Amino acid sequence: MKDASAKFDIAGLDLWYGQTQALKKVSMQVGANSITALIGPSGCGKSTFLRVLDRMNDLIDGVRTEGKVLYDGQDIFNGMDVIELRKKIGMVFQKPNPFPMSVFDNVAYGPRVHGTKDRRELEEIVERSLVNAALFDEVKDRLHKSALGLSGGQQQRLCIARVLAVEPDVLLMDEPTSALDPISTAKIENLLEELKRRYTIVIVTHNMQQAGRVSDWTGFFLSGELLEYAPTKDIFFNPRDPRTENYISGRFG
Amino acid sequence: MHKPTSGHASRLRSQAIAFAIVRGLSFLTIGILALILIFIVYRGLRYENVVRSTVLSNSEAAPDGLAIVVNEGTPLDRIEFPVLYGMYTDEYLNWSKITADKEDLVPIALDSSTADGAKVSRFLFGSTPQWGGLVETAPDAARAIERVRSTLGAVAVLPAEDLAGQKGVKVIPLRRVVIAANSEVTALVENRGIEDLSDPALRLLMAGKIANWKELGGPDLAVHLLEPPAGTELQRVLSDGGHSVSGGAREKDMAAYLAALGDQSGSVGYLFAGDAKAEELPTLMWSGTESGWNLSLSYLLESPGLSGKVGGISTIIANTFLMLILTGLMAAPIGVAAAVYLVEYARQGIMIRILRLGTETLAGIPSIIFGLFGFLFFVNILHFGFGLLSGCLTLTLMILPTIVRTSEEAMKAVPAGLREGSLALGATKLQTIVRVAIPAAAPGILTGLILGIGRAVGETAALLFTMGSDYKLAKGLFSSARVLSSHIYLLFAEGISFDRAFSTATVLILVVVAFNFSAKRLIGKMGGGREKGAKTR
Repeated sequence: MKDASAKFDIAGLDLWYGQTQALKKVSMQVGANSITALIGPSGCGKSTFLRVLDRMNDLIDGVRTEGKVLYDGQDIFNGMDVIELRKKIGMVFQKPNPFPMSVFDNVAYGPRVHGTKDRRELEEIVERSLVNAALFDEVKDRLHKSALGLSGGQQQRLCIARVLAVEPDVLLMDEPTSALDPISTAKIENLLEELKRRYTIVIVTHNMQQAGRVSDWTGFFLSGELLEYAPTKDIFFNPRDPRTENYISGRFG
Repeated sequence: MHKPTSGHASRLRSQAIAFAIVRGLSFLTIGILALILIFIVYRGLRYENVVRSTVLSNSEAAPDGLAIVVNEGTPLDRIEFPVLYGMYTDEYLNWSKITADKEDLVPIALDSSTADGAKVSRFLFGSTPQWGGLVETAPDAARAIERVRSTLGAVAVLPAEDLAGQKGVKVIPLRRVVIAANSEVTALVENRGIEDLSDPALRLLMAGKIANWKELGGPDLAVHLLEPPAGTELQRVLSDGGHSVSGGAREKDMAAYLAALGDQSGSVGYLFAGDAKAEELPTLMWSGTESGWNLSLSYLLESPGLSGKVGGISTIIANTFLMLILTGLMAAPIGVAAAVYLVEYARQGIMIRILRLGTETLAGIPSIIFGLFGFLFFVNILHFGFGLLSGCLTLTLMILPTIVRTSEEAMKAVPAGLREGSLALGATKLQTIVRVAIPAAAPGILTGLILGIGRAVGETAALLFTMGSDYKLAKGLFSSARVLSSHIYLLFAEGISFDRAFSTATVLILVVVAFNFSAKRLIGKMGGGREKGAKTR
């Protein structure tokens, strides 16, 4: 994929945790309004890569990055406000992490920290976000109760709604369904189909079927290298690298 | 075959022994703690004193139709006949020996030429009046009452019916039953005489169970027990107060009774103190335990007087809460801010480790050291003087290490996922700390606050040098104030009242329990999370 409409253009990305190199010369382009799945065995660097995209690795001491990451043509490491970047690029984590406050306050958290104070506007945003995250019907009667009372699947969709509320451009998802049951997983996968129309989605997953089901493009990471990056169909049915084939067919990893 | 089995059995046995020891120790600890708590609370609620007196505990509101009346402000709830007698014979010049008050004593008597006046005179002195020079004479009861109402140190003996419905004065009951004996009974034989009659000994004596005074340490003399004549006031008072006499000789009237006490060798019987005095009959000392309710509602609601000897502890409770609120308001923000700095901002290096070590050391420093520091720094150098502010600042310093440490642990325990979630939404670090991390750590932070304030509420040493000991309600930040813990210390150390020290201790325990309980509820509400309402409006 080489075109100017790419959301992310990553070139020669190296990343070290102290002395350990976690990403080696990763280059890829992420297309807009598509779902890109990142797969690979544990510790292969896919989550680290995902966290580069909204600079969440800044929080970890001793992380050093080299190479270029362009987001809409802008270098995210140079001359980009990290707050603005993270506002544009939302992230959903592996473990649902609702704040210990009400459902409403969880969703309104983002808009509030970005300065929205008007009650009616907040209510609108919250409702819209919850509807978009396919959660509104389930929680509309308990908006003002603690979010910690929701089920795991609901909590994860709440986290998605919370991200949607700041009206991002990109959604990064780090194994968003690994802690969920199959029914909740199905709901979130359906949701991804919906969200794809408006957002660019990058999802890290351990679940091959999930990658196959939901993504347009798939990247296979191994030991910090992006081994293969191609349209999902090609990766699954016609992998070029034998290691990719081995992994996908379950021979290792 | 056998070896592993026996090894197994011995393992089981040693396990059982270890378990028994652990269980025994834990029960012992809990038992001791419960015992302490129960003892203090019981001791605080009930008092039990050894009383040694010539007068028994039977009290009368209107002896012989008369009433003893004092000003409403006089902290006296009963009077013994010898004291009353002393008041009217110049034995007392002021109240200091009676109530520890400094007021002058003003005994008031009705004009002896009136019928009522004569009755009072007879009541106090029998046939030979011995009025003291201090005694003021009032022409009638109304004027006597007026004088008592307007004079704090006044006392009067008036016909009971004149006092119905009078305001500003109070009628106090009289105790006047004594154990009178024939003079031979109290005589010393070989320098030994009758000791105090304890309650059980008195009961045996009055039930006719003691045949010879020798049994009570007296002379070798047969006991001649006299029962009070039937139908007399003496007999009525005795049966009301539960002091019955049985198995004794019964005289036909009071005159014969008095004659028997005077003439019959070895005779003994109950008598009114006035009669004993008039007949010059010796009386025996009685010693018993007196018990009753120590902690009453009025003790909680009245303000204290005379360094806590009288009145209640309402102002002291109020001061305690003022102190807690002030200390909490100062310690909480500083402590939480320090913890936030240590966890979120400080570079984790050698300086921080030294700082932590210092905090931990401070937490273990005896409070009296903080008291000395507070005295030098706040009271003297900063010229805050002895007062609420100096005391609370000292306490704040004292409890800060606890609050910082626990808040720090609570902040560290906030899941990283919450911080990441917030930061990933584009929140700044400060927003994340204030809106997510601190609320999530709030239960832990509150626990630290409660531990700290719990330490403050029981603190005495740090306060003695800094907060002063005025038992009135603090009027401002610089006014000296006494709190529950220092009140207990002062009541005890200055020997003011042991009973009151325990009552105050009980109140202090209740305050601590109530404080902890409500805080636990609060924490449960905040931290329990599940299905608990979070406020948005």
